[in-house]
Amino acid sequence: MTRTRTLLGAGAAALALIMTGCSGGGDADGPVELTFWHGYTEADGDVLEAIVEDFNASHEDITIATEVKTWASIDDTLLTALSAGEGPDIVAMPAERLPVYASRGAFASLDDFYEDEDSNTAHLVPGAVDMVEVEGEKYGVPAGFVPLAVYYNTSLFEDAGIEEFPQDWDQWVEAAEQLTVDENGDGTPEQYGAVIPDHETVANGLWPSLFYGNGGGIVEDGQAVIDSPQNAETLEFWRSAIVDDQISPTGVDGIGADELFGSGKAAMTVGGPWMASIATENGIDYAIAPIPAGPEAQAASAIGISMAASAEATDAEQEAAEEFFSFFLNEENSVEWSLGSGWPPLRSDIPAEDVASNPVVASLTEMAELGRPLLPGVVNSVDVLTAVDELTQRAVAGGDIDALLDEAQGKIQDALE
Amino acid sequence: MSAVAASRRGKRAIKPSTVLVTIAVVAVSAVVLLPIAIIVLTAFKPVAEVNAFPPSLFPSEWTLDNLKRVTSDLPFLRLTVNSFVFAGGVTAFALVFDSLAAYALARMDFTGRRVLLIAIIATLMIPFQATLIPLYQLVADLGWVNSYAGLIAPRAADAFGIFFLRQFFLALPRDVDAAARIDGASEFRVFRSIVLPNAVPALLTLGLFTFVNNWNDLLWPLVFTTKAEMGTITSGLTLLTGPSGIVPHGVMMAGSLIAILPLVIAFLFIQRRFIENIATTGLK
Amino acid sequence: MTAQHPPARRYRPPAPLGGRRGSRRGLGRRNLRAFAFLAPALVVLGLFVVWPMISALRLSFTDASGFGREEWVGLENYVTVFTDPDILNAVLNTVQYTLLFTPTAVLAALGLALLLNNPHLPFRSFFRTALFVPFVISFAVAAFAWSYLIDPQVGLLNYWLGGLGIRMGNVLQDPTLAMPAVAFVAVWKLFGFYFVIFLAGLQDIPASLYEAARVDGAGPWSRLRHVTLPLLSNTMAFVLIFAMIAALQAFDQIYVMTGGGPYGNTQTMVMEIYESGFRKLEVGFASALSYVLLIATLLLSIVQFLFFGRKEKDLS
Repeated sequence: MTRTRTLLGAGAAALALIMTGCSGGGDADGPVELTFWHGYTEADGDVLEAIVEDFNASHEDITIATEVKTWASIDDTLLTALSAGEGPDIVAMPAERLPVYASRGAFASLDDFYEDEDSNTAHLVPGAVDMVEVEGEKYGVPAGFVPLAVYYNTSLFEDAGIEEFPQDWDQWVEAAEQLTVDENGDGTPEQYGAVIPDHETVANGLWPSLFYGNGGGIVEDGQAVIDSPQNAETLEFWRSAIVDDQISPTGVDGIGADELFGSGKAAMTVGGPWMASIATENGIDYAIAPIPAGPEAQAASAIGISMAASAEATDAEQEAAEEFFSFFLNEENSVEWSLGSGWPPLRSDIPAEDVASNPVVASLTEMAELGRPLLPGVVNSVDVLTAVDELTQRAVAGGDIDALLDEAQGKIQDALE
Repeated sequence: MSAVAASRRGKRAIKPSTVLVTIAVVAVSAVVLLPIAIIVLTAFKPVAEVNAFPPSLFPSEWTLDNLKRVTSDLPFLRLTVNSFVFAGGVTAFALVFDSLAAYALARMDFTGRRVLLIAIIATLMIPFQATLIPLYQLVADLGWVNSYAGLIAPRAADAFGIFFLRQFFLALPRDVDAAARIDGASEFRVFRSIVLPNAVPALLTLGLFTFVNNWNDLLWPLVFTTKAEMGTITSGLTLLTGPSGIVPHGVMMAGSLIAILPLVIAFLFIQRRFIENIATTGLK
Repeated sequence: MTAQHPPARRYRPPAPLGGRRGSRRGLGRRNLRAFAFLAPALVVLGLFVVWPMISALRLSFTDASGFGREEWVGLENYVTVFTDPDILNAVLNTVQYTLLFTPTAVLAALGLALLLNNPHLPFRSFFRTALFVPFVISFAVAAFAWSYLIDPQVGLLNYWLGGLGIRMGNVLQDPTLAMPAVAFVAVWKLFGFYFVIFLAGLQDIPASLYEAARVDGAGPWSRLRHVTLPLLSNTMAFVLIFAMIAALQAFDQIYVMTGGGPYGNTQTMVMEIYESGFRKLEVGFASALSYVLLIATLLLSIVQFLFFGRKEKDLS
């Protein structure tokens, strides 16, 4: 490890000497200062901060200063900041946002870094790595990758007398029906069995997860595949469950879903690890289960967070950023980060017992293999996700599913070209 | 309304139409004030009640939890100071620069005056979002990112203010300054000693507009400042968003309350003067 | 406008000293003096408004993303603006928003100004203040508060109206109600501003005119039509143009309340500009779209000035 570092360091220093003439930032001899933007605002932020502090303490020549923002405001400010040379050297962002920045040349390619044995990237969860790849090149390292899961209210399950968590879609809907309560009989349940948002779902992943369950998908090999008969069946099935069986309110988005679950008005929601803390905050007894299997497969779209290094950085800065990535991904920090953030470890070689002390992580780690990356490598994910949102929202509202799928197919294909 | 007319009518018995008008105005005012009431009251509601059904207007129990959470999550004192520096700085500069320009446009004769006025108004018609990126690059080139200078300078004059004051200056009588000029007073002297003192109502009005608009501006402080401690209280509210994008309503309303309170208090103090002032400005 | 014939309009100030107007030296000196007054504002506007506008105009002919790599693409972005169905949708939405917002805000402001101009009304100054207060509240805060009030699950307004038998449902996700809802929030926030301007205009109408009309036997409607409205037309032109500009640039509350949804039904042009620029990083295209919006706004403003026949008075 040390040897490679020295070698790389020497190479970088030589390059940096050439570069210093035309760049303001990286002085090869002096300490390298990096700014790091991320959106971890809760307990996870404290853990990340601790890792960064450890890193700074163990690297005399590198200082990383973090700047905590919200994920949304990173997206609002990154373009202007990077375009004016005022951006961060390292930035963490929702994984599906990385390709568009990478394809416009905002981030440095990390292919060489991945080649390096000491980069600690060899055992990364493959799906997580897919999300940092654009046109065959890797532009980041994963900071988080977790399959969507069902978070359910155990007291409501007990009240309804449901002992086992459903294993497939039919059981799932059946359980949800049992959990749906319309006490005053006005046709609007006071308690819903589930909350199935029809647009802007958690990490945009709910409907993709359902599509996978029936063997469908959105984009495969760079081609739109949304207008499949499988997807039509999926939409029909869930529309019927939501509208006819009233297992879920309509017109809800992912944030609304979290709120409904947090207020105890919905017995199940599909969400991310933060649901655990939302449930705890609201005094809700909860448990976590994998999304029940569809007719064809059991799968869940994953929530990904990726970190990238600015293309504006000097070689010394990029070298320092890579140094941080490998530090972040080393065994000790992988475990610490996983336990502290509540997300499963990013490395598949971390034994399950290492993270058993955090029950949320333990249950999410068990289902890690269900996780599929969302739209890996798709540059224009904005338009693709808008098309999917429009499709699901209109379908649930009673639109003609075949026509909607046809329209979505056209829009997604346009976005991919 | 002349005093005579007003007092004569005041003696008449209250007409039924006045009762109807009063009821209508009360109803409209209630709708208008409802969101403000909800901000204030929700800010003091316990979390469970904020999301309870059926909802209630008043908290059953007043709590400071939401406000405490805002003050612990945000460097709100610093943000509020920034808001004052930003909105106050912009207002101070804009009043000086706008009134100078408006004076020239209203009361001086020069080549291309009309074209210039139209050009200034036309700058209002491009959405700010369109020029944000080039503007940011420019401010970065000046080395002003994350500084008060960078935050304030781009707003130090604005087209609306120039147009507004020009309308007012046009309406001021001209005999006094004509006389002053004949007495040999310089143009600047006329501006400073004759026009400006008569323009106090308009300046106060514009000052309030400018202050309010900048205090409330979200996009510019949000995009411009890459460090949280350089943001304003309005842009800082976005930091209250939780990990999944959830904004707890109670916390958001508490944050909103902190953000709007200085403005509302300031406005209530000067409102009488302010609204009467508008009557004397050129906006009509 | 030529240098030799500066427009001689109603409000043109008298020449500082008689007889000097024709002389070129006098003109040069006047220009220089005026320029001294204008310079600070022009420097600020030139540097921070006009220059970025010119940059954006240049970018509109490129495929710029903001990160340096950019290629000249000629009119391609403009062709896309006029052919992309999503843009057409945004244009139609913006028109719909403008038609919902502008008349509602202006009529509400005018109506309330007329009501509050009634000297018999009790608590006039309280009402004036109450109606203006929303103007000092930011769009973001207004959007949060209204979203909470009309929340389908816990919204107080939904609950109250439900008690009256009016079921609003999930307003912000309802394709027909979402746009009126976001337009309504803008009316709420901005009408107070137009209201005080109308109030000012009304207070400026001499009472003697009303008395004269009364003597001639004119009733309240007739006085409104023949005295009040004609004398307010200047104010009306001013208010309409600023209301229209505000409507065409609608963004803040939509961004917070619906994000352009449901399925693009509240996606306005500025929302589209923001999404193209800051989400898809198509800065060149976003700039082209902005210029199309600028030109449309300019044309509409000119039409309004012409309609009110007051262009001389307002813009000379």
